[in-house]
Amino acid sequence: MKAYLSVFHIRRKMELQYRGAMLGGILCQMFFGLILISLYRALYASKPQELPISHVVSYVWLQQAFFRMLLASDPDLGDKIRTGSISYDLCRPMDLYGFYYIRIMAQKLTGSLMRGIPMLCFALFLPRGWGLTLPSSPPGLAISVLALILGLLCVCALENITMAFTMRTLDAKGVQAMLNLLMLILAGNILPLTLFPDSWQKVITLLPYAQLLDAPIRFYTGEYGMDRALRILLVQIVWVFLLTLLGRLMWSRNQKRLILQGG
Amino acid sequence: MSFIHVEKLHKSFTVLEKRRKGSLFRERKTVEALRDLSFEIGRGELVGYIGPNGAGKSTTVKILSGIMTPESGEVTVGGRIPWADRREHVRRIGVVFGQRMQLWWDVPILDSYLLLKDIYRIPDEKYHARLTELTEVLKLEELLRTPLRLMSLGQRMRAELCGSLLHRPELLFLDEPTIGLDAVSKLSLREFLKWENETYGTTILLTTHDMEDIAALCSRVMVLGHGRKLFDGNLETLLERYDTVRTVKACYENPSVMPALPASVTASREGEGILFSYSPGETPTAEVLRLLQAAGDLRELTIEPQNIDHLIAAMYREMDL
Repeated sequence: MKAYLSVFHIRRKMELQYRGAMLGGILCQMFFGLILISLYRALYASKPQELPISHVVSYVWLQQAFFRMLLASDPDLGDKIRTGSISYDLCRPMDLYGFYYIRIMAQKLTGSLMRGIPMLCFALFLPRGWGLTLPSSPPGLAISVLALILGLLCVCALENITMAFTMRTLDAKGVQAMLNLLMLILAGNILPLTLFPDSWQKVITLLPYAQLLDAPIRFYTGEYGMDRALRILLVQIVWVFLLTLLGRLMWSRNQKRLILQGG
Repeated sequence: MSFIHVEKLHKSFTVLEKRRKGSLFRERKTVEALRDLSFEIGRGELVGYIGPNGAGKSTTVKILSGIMTPESGEVTVGGRIPWADRREHVRRIGVVFGQRMQLWWDVPILDSYLLLKDIYRIPDEKYHARLTELTEVLKLEELLRTPLRLMSLGQRMRAELCGSLLHRPELLFLDEPTIGLDAVSKLSLREFLKWENETYGTTILLTTHDMEDIAALCSRVMVLGHGRKLFDGNLETLLERYDTVRTVKACYENPSVMPALPASVTASREGEGILFSYSPGETPTAEVLRLLQAAGDLRELTIEPQNIDHLIAAMYREMDL
């Protein structure tokens, strides 16, 4: 257990080495947020929607704040596999899946918190209709944090599956590009899932991608009430379980057929 | 039974061949990386493992370190089967792959060491004692707070070596550790390996292309070619066997002088001098020198030093590698 904490710690430290990049990331995400919000405001001005604009604005800000959680894969892991440095990790008395899982988690958590917190503070002070609104209720916020944690577990399991694919193809870019595209659309980063047609939402909200950020955000804005909390959390837990299981299976199969190239 | 026991080891890889015209699929070909490899290594030995590129050296190391499983054959290290008992096995070994990195690129190396401490569950006192000792011998004290990315190649290799030895492995695999190092770094690295081996009786298996490494460190050499073991013994025996051709260059005051030598000595003009090559078994060096001196006034005479690389190249040629 201590070893996993230690991995988490060192990966966090590594993430903190690039503070300049972090600042750039914050500015970029804020710019994106403002652009998207003006877009939705224009849409609402010409054709008001059922969903209040304040929900959409909060949705956009939360998506932008936790962007690093969705779309930032560890370039080192792909490189390790490509160059064969992974052989060092195979020589450690550790479970490889867990080792990578915790690395991915440290990166995603540190990256998104370091960027997200300043951004959300900024967004809270923006004028009404442009800024982030406060959570619907204290229990809503609590459930939303819980859902976010489950979402993090989900996204780490997904990323580890991508890594397992990389071990077969030896190049992370192809699979990653495809999965990232799916992620952008189905997690609600391009268009908030709440704005999709209702019939679509029935399916989309059951997919793993909706568990990452969409579910926590809807608890935050109050679109999901307490009455639906148990059902949604259950769906998340099932996905965490299934994705972890699949990733583990893929890793153990990979490890069996592993042939390290070169040398 | 000896510490490392390898018997009748086989390993092959499947590779896809270039697609032939007219056929839809590429054909599969099996390449045998190791064929019937057997050897024993005792505790505390320092063994050099050489062979041309692609001979199967790294494959052997990967099997011995539990990363790869062989098709058939028996391997035990300290009584354990590496791949079957992977976690217990890797706890006791250390590995250095000369061209790969285990330490974290962006953080001070001390942080990487702390991570290794937790991974190998090294108790605090043992860790501190060992780290102090290793940083002293490897001259790393001033580098502990430096991230790996700011280090030179030699510093990096020393840092990597320290990382691989923190948990006091009984067995250390070194895969080309001196690759790309300057003369001073090479010498200090060799000194260190010798020290580790003598002080703690760490068994070391050293894979290298640098014959100087072998000459300086290893009492025993194993030569691998095409997946087979071709030689196992000490370096002198190996060299004697292939030390068949030597060369002498002679320059005379009068350039037209051509000494008369036995037919087994070949002579060729090279610039102002004449290059003679002979085999010391047939014509002793003293005899050649006597004849050269008798032929005329010598201005310059150079006996080309024995180059181990040439000998090894000759050996590889003879063994058809």
